[in-house]
Amino acid sequence: MSDLVKEQIMGESISAKVPLWEVRGIYKAFPGVQALNDVSMSIFPGEVHALVGENGSGKSTLAKCLAGVHQPDNGQILYQSQLVTIRNPLEARAHGVATIYQEFSLIPTLTVAENIYLGRYPISITGVIDWAAVRQGTRTILKQLSLTIDPDMVVKSLSVAEQQLVEIAKAISMESNLLIMDEPTAALGIVETEHLMELIRRLTSQNKAIIYISHRLDEVFQIADRVTILKDGKWVTTAPISQLKMSEMVHKMIGFDIEQHYPKERNTQPDTCLEVENLTTENGVNGVSFSIKVGEVFGLGGMLGSGRTEIARAIYGLDKIVSGNITLYGRPAKFHSPSQAVMAGVGMVPENRKSDGCFFNFEGPKNITISRLKELLRGPFLNLTIERNYGESYVKRMNIPATALERSVQFLSGGNQQKVIVARWLFSKARLLIMDEPTQGIDIGAKLEVYNVINELTASGISIILISSDFPELLAMSDRIGVVRDGHILHITDGHLMTEYQLIGMASGVGMDDDTERILAGAQ
Amino acid sequence: METISKFFRSTVAGPFVAFLLVATIASLATPRFLMVQNLSNVSLQVATVAVVAIGATLVILTGGIDLSPGSTVALVTCTLAILVKNMGLPLPIGVLLVLLMGIILGIINGVLSTYGKIPSFIVTLATMSIYRGLAFLITNGTPIFSVSPALEPLFYGKFIGIPLPFYYVVILYSLGALFLRNTIPGRAIYAVGGNESAARLTGIAVNRSRMMAFVIAGLTAAIGGVLLAAWLNSGSPNYGAELGLQSIAAAVIGGASLAGGYGSMIATLFGALTVAIVQNGLNLLAVPASWQEITLGIVIVLAVGLDMWRGEMGRGLSRLFRQPAPK
Repeated sequence: MSDLVKEQIMGESISAKVPLWEVRGIYKAFPGVQALNDVSMSIFPGEVHALVGENGSGKSTLAKCLAGVHQPDNGQILYQSQLVTIRNPLEARAHGVATIYQEFSLIPTLTVAENIYLGRYPISITGVIDWAAVRQGTRTILKQLSLTIDPDMVVKSLSVAEQQLVEIAKAISMESNLLIMDEPTAALGIVETEHLMELIRRLTSQNKAIIYISHRLDEVFQIADRVTILKDGKWVTTAPISQLKMSEMVHKMIGFDIEQHYPKERNTQPDTCLEVENLTTENGVNGVSFSIKVGEVFGLGGMLGSGRTEIARAIYGLDKIVSGNITLYGRPAKFHSPSQAVMAGVGMVPENRKSDGCFFNFEGPKNITISRLKELLRGPFLNLTIERNYGESYVKRMNIPATALERSVQFLSGGNQQKVIVARWLFSKARLLIMDEPTQGIDIGAKLEVYNVINELTASGISIILISSDFPELLAMSDRIGVVRDGHILHITDGHLMTEYQLIGMASGVGMDDDTERILAGAQ
Repeated sequence: METISKFFRSTVAGPFVAFLLVATIASLATPRFLMVQNLSNVSLQVATVAVVAIGATLVILTGGIDLSPGSTVALVTCTLAILVKNMGLPLPIGVLLVLLMGIILGIINGVLSTYGKIPSFIVTLATMSIYRGLAFLITNGTPIFSVSPALEPLFYGKFIGIPLPFYYVVILYSLGALFLRNTIPGRAIYAVGGNESAARLTGIAVNRSRMMAFVIAGLTAAIGGVLLAAWLNSGSPNYGAELGLQSIAAAVIGGASLAGGYGSMIATLFGALTVAIVQNGLNLLAVPASWQEITLGIVIVLAVGLDMWRGEMGRGLSRLFRQPAPK
């Protein structure tokens, strides 16, 4: 008995000294960019090691080197002090590395259970796949995550948040000693995030190591043991989380100090921009009324699936309106299609900029001019020189890298892609802009720029409908907020008069019960 | 040097290299290839494929596909023959009517695939069958020869010593390139193929763009049909069987992506030239038709493969021609 205890202690003290995984002097270049430049880090068993840095700092590239997606140009990867070469994702998996990618790796047409066991289906004695075991195993894994998703559901019928959770479940179900999580909470709500945090703690207590990549620094402080900061592909520092302050971390990430997280300016003018009366749609919006002033930011606060996006869709002509009235600058504005909305001066910055926003077959200028090509007409023809000039001036104005002028926008970071889309609506002279999760998955520096852009837009008389799951951001950046639940606006109030606590309580419908309180306590 | 380096990274590089390669091989294999008479022949042979490939490229750019132009060509040659020879209509009126018919056939493809929401592959697979069936129906399955003495000069005529089809190709491709590069509907076609959802959200009438591509495809197929009828001074339900796939081949050799959004007129023209030179070269060498088909297939794989692998090769080539960037 005492020997066993001794051995365990011994084992622990050894494992505390020998890293489970280690990378030394990693270099990786892509055409035109040195993504990793002499980066080293070590990961110990049972630790949550956060990897932070701005977009393009090399976090994901480093993770992908460990996951076998990329092969470093130079440098060493060691597993339990042994040099290893990871040539592809299968080899990484054989070494016990499981990855949750930012981009989904699920197959949309298969069921949850089929996806989780993809490529390693258990075979019964008769030689066919043991579907009962697949379902049972899936249920067990989902239960660990406190998820109530049916294993037989087809993945594409799940919400984005649910898909993300299945993605996590899939990675966890693999026999692994290292779990790499790249922005695992980007699509999750508060409650799901809290479940994930609990799960991470449980995994580390089983001595698994976790590399946690996130832009949400509050999460990093909540869950990480140590932090490695990267900037421009270079290692900046590695430190225990207890030795770092938030402001310090931000400074190291972006290279300068941020005085204010939310530089809100109030630019509301007395005139009315949009008036929505008793709006009901086929897609679940039910008797919604509100108005927006010129230069105002109107926030729609609610949980995923509350109907906040559907309200925006109805205004933009995407969903069929059953009853109610909409006027824009005093004119009837019940649009039947986005092209009518665009013509009338409404623009949308969609939640998913990759699938709904960017044209990857276009360079920057064509992405910007697409919603107002008439501006480029000289006679019947588009003048490409004028387009190029506009492109240059907007790229400069929005502080987008000049490479966007020559190359496809797919090579831009998420934050810069977002700025290209905002530039598009600036160019089209939109007077009302719907911004759906404009800062999702972009880093602090770029977020700040988006906030400044919002200020600039409202100062020039553009009104904004802001949808965001980041409640502190929503409260700080909105002049007024409508709390949405079940397709209905429950309450409209000034942004600065409401606390995050109240907003969550109203939006989730739980009021101030224990669950909310616990979550809020955990978040602080 | 910078221009050369830029060229190897541009989208026209792949098809241009393919074209250069087959032209070089053809001229090495037979000295007759480079003779003026033969080059003039090539320009005749390339004309129909090239013209039909204009429409094929537009449809592919929107992310669709058109399998029917070969059948449209057949139906056009037969209709033109009947209108002019059997019904005695003046040739210009006949030509106008069959061009109109091409537009209508394109509208049918377009309406079914956009508003009818049937995938364009299925729609045009069906109309490919229907249009050719109609050609057999109206001719009772027999070709109509010696349509009109006025028809042949449309194809065999010359202007300043150069065959007319050369001018048709140059003019139509210039118009096509102008349309794609410098008009709003042209730009919209790229946008729809590049990201349909984003196109819709930026206010582009997606269905209208798709319709336009199919209508133009119908029109260019009809022009191709008129050219073929003039070339052979006849109409037959068996004409143009290979044109549908050859026009798609020209577009993909030209680097058009079947997913939509990528491709250009100039690149397709190089693609069409590649197809024509392969055929012409093998004709000169008296290679049997079966081997011509096999060779064309191999060229398609090589050309598209070349383009796919160009990522690495192009970088290597452009590195050769690039001066070191100042640090």
